Amino acid sequence: MADYTIDETVDITDVVCPVTFVKAKVALEELEDGQVLSIRLNDGEPVQNVPRSIKEEGHQILKLIDNGDGTYNLVVKRITLEDQT
Amino acid sequence: MKLTVTGNVKEYADGLTVAKLIELEKVETPLYVTVSINDEFIASGTFEETVLHEGDIVEFLYFMGGGQR
Amino acid sequence: MALSNEQLERYSRHIILSEVGAKGQKKILDSKVLIIGAGGLGAPAALYLAAAGVGTIGIADADEVDLSNLQRQVIHTTPDVGKAKVLSAQETMNAINPQITVNTYRQFVDASNIMDLIADYDFILDGTDNFPAKFLINDACVLAKKPFSHAGIIRFKGQLMTYVPDKGPCYRCVFREPPPPDAVPTCRQAGVIGAMGGVIGSLQAMEAIKYIIGKGDLLTGYLLTYDALKMDFRKVKLPKVSNCAVCGDSPSILKPFDYEQAVCKV
Repeated sequence: MADYTIDETVDITDVVCPVTFVKAKVALEELEDGQVLSIRLNDGEPVQNVPRSIKEEGHQILKLIDNGDGTYNLVVKRITLEDQT
Repeated sequence: MKLTVTGNVKEYADGLTVAKLIELEKVETPLYVTVSINDEFIASGTFEETVLHEGDIVEFLYFMGGGQR
Repeated sequence: MALSNEQLERYSRHIILSEVGAKGQKKILDSKVLIIGAGGLGAPAALYLAAAGVGTIGIADADEVDLSNLQRQVIHTTPDVGKAKVLSAQETMNAINPQITVNTYRQFVDASNIMDLIADYDFILDGTDNFPAKFLINDACVLAKKPFSHAGIIRFKGQLMTYVPDKGPCYRCVFREPPPPDAVPTCRQAGVIGAMGGVIGSLQAMEAIKYIIGKGDLLTGYLLTYDALKMDFRKVKLPKVSNCAVCGDSPSILKPFDYEQAVCKV
């Protein structure tokens, strides 16, 4: 049972590193503080690196869902850092 | 007396004028240099009579053209 | 408008910076910068601003590319010799970034055209080589309330300052009047290391970018001087002059005017 509501979704399976993270970051930038984004990403390098980079930006990872088709959905809550505008 | 001239602290003779300092420091275009003392510009016609004092901070600002042709 | 995947990739190194992000990159894409002079300073500035995605870049210069320009004016190449500098610059900028618009003005900038020229732009970059032009650009930018970057290079030295309306001293506050013709050497007569244009012109581009994204401290109220032989950068504080003839409390210069153009004797 989900204890969150997804406000926005973004698909980053159509791009490769480093644009994967950039595209996710831009989608997060456009949310309000506390809103939730679901990011569809590929297995392998994206699923290894993108969650870590997003965490380093200070956002909160809520869940990683395996879609069973070589893709994942990463559910992230936007946290505004002080130095972000 | 000690003066800070273009960032360097050095010993100079008491009673030194700006005109004399310009000569000592071998300023390249002595007639066309802007001088500031303690963050105030001094008028270009007054270099002869402006006397420097202990601790003064002096900057020379040069005309610099060039860059297009 | 959302950035395309291609734009996300092209500008990824900007967007990844917390000071820029997608918001800052969109500001850059929407911005308009005018570069006066496609020479030693204007060339590197134009390359970086085009690469950065400045949406509209104006470039003004009446000259053609000369073989002696190529030692420092890195936007022009050997096959460009004889071509109008503004066209050569436009071709290189569009080759780097086809998404931007480059407006060319193949003309000398003078009192009769400068106000119209700068009107459409957010930031002006002075890459000229003579004092009448530098004072003209200063006066016009102060009167039109446009921010601009002044720079000069000679031999192994360079200088830079940024004027922002109502914020800092202007070029005239510091230098008052142009020196008489030939009283002060220009780089044609005195020479200059090509990389000096790269250093100082790139700093001008950096000031333009910072102004556009609204981040950091600009070089307002300071003159940055660079002495390459001593490898010395200094920021000299500039007082604001309340009786400045153009930006002071009761200015006497109310519209731009031309000083007699010093004809450079080669």
